[in-house]
Amino acid sequence: MLLEIGIALLLAKVVGLAFEKIKQPAVIGEILAGIMMGPFIAGYFGLNYLSDVTEGLAHIGIILLLFISGLETGIDELRAVGKNGFITSLFDVSIAFFFGCLAGYILGYDLKVSIAIGNILVATSVGITVRTLMEMHALHTKVGELILTVAVLDDVLGIIVLSITLGHGASSSLIKITIFFILFIILLFLIDKIKEIKLHIPRFALTLSLSFALIFSAFAKSLGLAAITGSFFAGLIFSKLPQRRRITDFIRQIGEIFFIPLFFVWVGASFDFSAIKEIGSLVALFIPMALIGKIIGCSAGAKICGFTARDAFAVGIGMMPRMEVALVVVTTEITMGIFNETLAHQVLASTILLVIISSFITPILLKMVYKGES
Amino acid sequence: MELKELHEKKIRDIIDEKQVWNLPLIEKDASIEEVLSVLTGRDHVWVVEEKGSKKLVGIITESDVLRLLAPPRLPKYVFGKRYGVSLQHGTVKVAKDVMHRQIIKCSLDDKIGDALCRMINCGIRRLPVVKDDEIVGEITVHYILQILLGKR
Repeated sequence: MLLEIGIALLLAKVVGLAFEKIKQPAVIGEILAGIMMGPFIAGYFGLNYLSDVTEGLAHIGIILLLFISGLETGIDELRAVGKNGFITSLFDVSIAFFFGCLAGYILGYDLKVSIAIGNILVATSVGITVRTLMEMHALHTKVGELILTVAVLDDVLGIIVLSITLGHGASSSLIKITIFFILFIILLFLIDKIKEIKLHIPRFALTLSLSFALIFSAFAKSLGLAAITGSFFAGLIFSKLPQRRRITDFIRQIGEIFFIPLFFVWVGASFDFSAIKEIGSLVALFIPMALIGKIIGCSAGAKICGFTARDAFAVGIGMMPRMEVALVVVTTEITMGIFNETLAHQVLASTILLVIISSFITPILLKMVYKGES
Repeated sequence: MELKELHEKKIRDIIDEKQVWNLPLIEKDASIEEVLSVLTGRDHVWVVEEKGSKKLVGIITESDVLRLLAPPRLPKYVFGKRYGVSLQHGTVKVAKDVMHRQIIKCSLDDKIGDALCRMINCGIRRLPVVKDDEIVGEITVHYILQILLGKR
């Protein structure tokens, strides 16, 4: 097992770097490294990456990834979102979610599976868009500003939608969700008091944040919510601490070096090539719905906020990429047993393809929208 | 002065009341050019609510400016707005766009030893001295050294 983890870390780093060199997200490289570590390639040489140990490490990677997301989203930033960001985000999330559900419905899946597909399509990853806008010197424009703002709300709303729609049992789950959010609000107030306590224990805030992320995730899970809901909201709570930047850098270090690459390698290694054979109808609907849903949702929101048709369209294009959170959501849903085994492999493969395709076409389309402009 | 004795002293015992007039302060809506201008001569600037006010709302340090000056590099996993902050790409316009909002601070009744521990634990080299949310002074390593060596 030590050999497999060692090789996986090195491979993820090397292939991730190679992808960064060709201006593609490192995450795709890490997934590719995972495919190499899977039963079809590394398995041929007697290496077995997929085990309970690597699954456990991958799950910690998921928790840390969402904890970082919560820390960097931040309560202060959420307060400063403004009307335009809020309206566009609301359209974005609801229409992307609806298009995902619609894809599931058309394919004949039951309501729970359709909702789970809708959840995968909600969160955006703007890393590739920010890079493209930087290249085009357009990050400071109204479009760039709105994309960055909507991305802040996107993850929060996505996690809230996930919590509400994936609870077990109707009325009892609503009570549990309410308990969770009431506790979250109480902790938001409590953290203001805690930060006044003058403890002189070295690295106490770092240990406290890490352990709280894990405990709050376990608490969310015990209420029937996803563990990622707990870790994301734990991040939001700790974003109020004065040591926020230090905590974020610390969690990023341990996460980015060890746990998070192992999660993406695990996703890649779980990729089942035999699932591709019967994936046709799912991919044919899932990917276009994912892309169109974002374009329509964000464009409509931006247009209502007074953007020109072309700028509104650019916002829609910029919000198309899916990456980390989509993969986390699909993995969580698979772990929760929402899909049967065959469908789980197909949905995971479709999401990986969505990540690759959306990352590839977004820069091209964004540049096309602004073609001819200096 | 003995170091042990200094640790037990309260900040109000060493703080110079006139120091407040010499603090690097800038209002949160000041342009980024004004911020950079202050930082050509100081290694940090405290951000206050408005001109003439002492209500502390943020801090901008040398390392923030270093990030602004360097070519922007995005991490592998991008969340939030933090990585969209760039001088080169014109996304930073005023002080509040770049300041740290959560400030680690101390009060007049804190002991010097506690303030120093806080600096070590939080990886910082200066603390604002705050009374009723208003900045009344600052404690830096240089300042404490000067007190220790009897130069103040």
